[in-house]
Amino acid sequence: MVRFLAERSFGMIVTLFMVSVMVFFIMELPPGDFAERYAFRKFSGTGVTITPADIAAIRAELGLDQPAVVRYFDWISGIVLRGDFGQAYAFDTSVNNVIGQKVWLTLGLLFATLIITYLISVPIGIYAAVRRGGAADYGLTLFSYLGLALPNFLLALVLLYFANLWFGASVGGLFSAEYAEAPWSAAKLWDLMKHMWLPALVLGWSAMAYQIQTVRATMSDEIGKLNVTAARARGVPETRLLLKYPARLALNPVVSTIGFDVNRIFSELPIVAAVLGLTELGDLLLKSFLDLDMNVAGAILLMLTVVIVVMNFVSDLLLAWLDPRIRLGG
Amino acid sequence: MTVMDPQTPLETTAERREREKRERYYAASQWTLIWWRFRRHRAAMAGAAILLTMAFLGLFAEFFAPYGPTERNRDYVSGPPQVPMFCDQNGCSLRPFVHGTRTVRDPVTLRATAEPDPETRRHVAFFVPGEPAMLLGAIPISTRLFGLEDGAQLHLWGTDTLGRDVFSRTLYATRTSLSIGVLGVLISFVLALVIGGVAGYFGGLIDSAIQRVTEVVRVIPIIPLYMGLAAAMPKEWSSTQVYFAMTLILGLFGWPTLARRIRSQLLSIRGEDYVLAAQLAGARPARIIGSHMLPSFTSFIIVDLVISFPYMILSETALSFVGLGLRPPAVSWGVMLQQAQSVQVIEQAPWLFIPAGFVVLAVLAFTIVGDGLRDAADPYGQAG
Amino acid sequence: MGRLLEVENLTVSFRTDEGLITPVQGVSFGVDAGRTLGIVGESGSGKSVSTKAVMRLLPVSARIGDQSCIAFTDRDGARIDVHALRPGARALRRLRGGEIGMIFQEPMASFSPVYTIGNQIMETIRLHKGLRGAAARDLAVEMLTKVGISNPAARVDQYPHELSGGMRQRAMIALALSAGPRLLIADEPTTALDVTIQAQVLDLMAGLQRDLGMAMIFITHDLGVIAQVADEVAVMYLGTIVEQGPVRQLLKTPAHPYTQGLIAAIPRLDRIDNRLTPVPGEIPSPSARPSGCPFRSRCAQAILGVCDRTPPPLTRLGGGQSVRCHLHDRARAVA
Repeated sequence: MVRFLAERSFGMIVTLFMVSVMVFFIMELPPGDFAERYAFRKFSGTGVTITPADIAAIRAELGLDQPAVVRYFDWISGIVLRGDFGQAYAFDTSVNNVIGQKVWLTLGLLFATLIITYLISVPIGIYAAVRRGGAADYGLTLFSYLGLALPNFLLALVLLYFANLWFGASVGGLFSAEYAEAPWSAAKLWDLMKHMWLPALVLGWSAMAYQIQTVRATMSDEIGKLNVTAARARGVPETRLLLKYPARLALNPVVSTIGFDVNRIFSELPIVAAVLGLTELGDLLLKSFLDLDMNVAGAILLMLTVVIVVMNFVSDLLLAWLDPRIRLGG
Repeated sequence: MTVMDPQTPLETTAERREREKRERYYAASQWTLIWWRFRRHRAAMAGAAILLTMAFLGLFAEFFAPYGPTERNRDYVSGPPQVPMFCDQNGCSLRPFVHGTRTVRDPVTLRATAEPDPETRRHVAFFVPGEPAMLLGAIPISTRLFGLEDGAQLHLWGTDTLGRDVFSRTLYATRTSLSIGVLGVLISFVLALVIGGVAGYFGGLIDSAIQRVTEVVRVIPIIPLYMGLAAAMPKEWSSTQVYFAMTLILGLFGWPTLARRIRSQLLSIRGEDYVLAAQLAGARPARIIGSHMLPSFTSFIIVDLVISFPYMILSETALSFVGLGLRPPAVSWGVMLQQAQSVQVIEQAPWLFIPAGFVVLAVLAFTIVGDGLRDAADPYGQAG
Repeated sequence: MGRLLEVENLTVSFRTDEGLITPVQGVSFGVDAGRTLGIVGESGSGKSVSTKAVMRLLPVSARIGDQSCIAFTDRDGARIDVHALRPGARALRRLRGGEIGMIFQEPMASFSPVYTIGNQIMETIRLHKGLRGAAARDLAVEMLTKVGISNPAARVDQYPHELSGGMRQRAMIALALSAGPRLLIADEPTTALDVTIQAQVLDLMAGLQRDLGMAMIFITHDLGVIAQVADEVAVMYLGTIVEQGPVRQLLKTPAHPYTQGLIAAIPRLDRIDNRLTPVPGEIPSPSARPSGCPFRSRCAQAILGVCDRTPPPLTRLGGGQSVRCHLHDRARAVA
């Protein structure tokens, strides 16, 4: 078990290192550099003409005239050692300030989505497998096909439309107007919960469709296995039998794909956020890509990926805990 | 009974027919078998038909679409769909017609809006003259499949906020979106072949290194990654440049799943005798992989390729939808849907969502065809 | 008092995509307390389906014929009509495990991989003996000791994948016997094991049966194994019992061409120079059952115009042996 942990931790660190290189590469990709965009942004419309010398000065001041390798290590060491993600030019402040508590909002949304996804997909998948071939099963298969085919922004729009129709206009966004700028309180948290279900449902949609199919498939396989027949042959009551034997194993693929689900959810986050007006990292990521504010975008991309890598690790641990064959190296 | 077969001492005619059918089945080639099994999968056949129809309509959009993708009808802006009819309050006609339009000015906002004029009739006609265009980029045509008499315009699915015909634009968009999918899948296929091939054939250290890189690509959320790359496209690029850049971006990161498949298959057959024989005969690795190893699992590769289409199409649509993908004047499903970003559109101009229907239909069709192919390609499948 | 288990005219059919198939057709067999019935047949002959029907373990797509009767006499002397029990009935749950234990061909697959073997044995004990906690655990350890597992107190907390194949089958036997059933159904229990382990497990089962005085139905495709363990034997082919009788008599004077073929296929030390003679051909699928006698498509002695027309009737040969074959059909010989 110790060896297992050490191996996984080491792999995680290597992956994270390579991810950071990749993210840095994307940050460097747009034509022009931070100094130019910063200068144009700061002085455009002020009547001040910017000379190449001004830009060079900013560049030197920020250390942007260094080779890429040096800049990468400046950037990454700032993040790792001081938690400092650098400057956000579009807001004329530090990236940390721009991102601020949006990280927690995003994580909250992520976990709400994961919980809703699993609470819905696992029981439904199990049910569909037990009632295989029935009308409910066909309906669910159809639903999961649709779940994978319907672009999430479209689903967001449709749900928003009906939510507006049924619950009034206050459904979009993460907060009601009166709480948006208010300090945190129990009332604000409750308000957040009330707004969270719709984005969580939209974000979890395709993960749900996917997991229903996986749970159904694994459960169907497991139900047909000899150990289930053997348990039935020793007189275990049916409901308990289904839950203790096949359902327990049907959880394995779900647990082992938590990382994928987080990836899928984060992948859809920016677009869903744009449609639903969510004021968290996804929305900020899209805006900063459109503004080419690459320090902010890079920071967010890195954060999202770190969460995914960590969740992958958690999923490995959970799986080892659930399945003795992995835990005991069988 | 004439000849006694030692294996089957007694055989009735029905049994012989059954046996011959079985023998024909055993003698059929792998591809014939896949086709037989696929043909029995009705949903997959329907999906394939839908995709072929879409591809056909898109390919010959210049003929099927009455108007060009950027042609504007200033007299019918944000106009609702015009459904051809045979009867109205003035009686019936054997030829389908639509009502003409007239422009009225809103007394309050003074905005001009189009309104059907029930007093005029415009008859639908086929093979009407239109703007000259190049079919398949080579054949000049100036005939359209259908239109209205007297040069009036027919907007089957209405017009968008600039007065462009949604039906025509959807056909052109179908061509763009499907072709981006095809090119993206091809690029990722080539990459997967090279990367998975090298990893699976050589194994060992090279394999571990490649696995690490694959892990990185798999772990970064894909749409934000695409966004980062798309955001880097210079603003001054032409729509053609952007189009090819988009296919490249989509293809560049679509390979991990397929590469993984190729790698594991290659690893599993690396030790087979026929591979060793080819190696001893002095064949180069690329040749061994290409002509000896890949053919043993071509059908799986095809299935994976078909299944990866939906991701390409959905990614392109999503990126264009938020303005990080194709740019006007290029037209794709995602570009068209840019006009349908808010709930108000559902209420005021729902026909702008028609391209979304195409997205869903195409993705569904690809998924179902992929499932059908997978069932058909599985030699241990139940269908026999 | 009747037999412990009495199966009369059992017919099982399945609804499939290709229509109704009937893997078991009009099968009758029974077993007395303390005795062993061996059922022999190739895969696909319906031997597993028949015994699963006794335990009501068939999938929902299976239909048991209306004329079929499965009767079991429980330890209180009450006759249970198994076929008539509701699926969730208490009596059925008591029957499964409590009255009839079952072991399967694949010891690895018959244990769930994610629970310890102790967990699964104690589950049976809790359900049928009403013991909990330490008492259940003690009994589980005792059972493991009884089947010859070394260091049972540690093994009880191990997972199936930590045990060897022979160990697992011993543990499975311990599990099946832990509630003290009066009938043990063993479905090819030794097929997946090495030959030496096979002999050990057979010995163990024979010993346990003697000690516990229970009856056994032993399913195998190996007539050699039957000769060692069974008192009576039924030979199945394509869903019917083609020959049945006391084991010695049947092995000495097999009447059915199929039984003769099976006996010729047993490897024997005294004829090592001879090649084995397998029964020619393949067993047809139940969906393509030959008309008349099911075996006639592989039978070298098939009579044209008879064997492909009518199914052979049951012929009693004396000494408890009976056969279904036109070659022995006296009525036909007279006519």
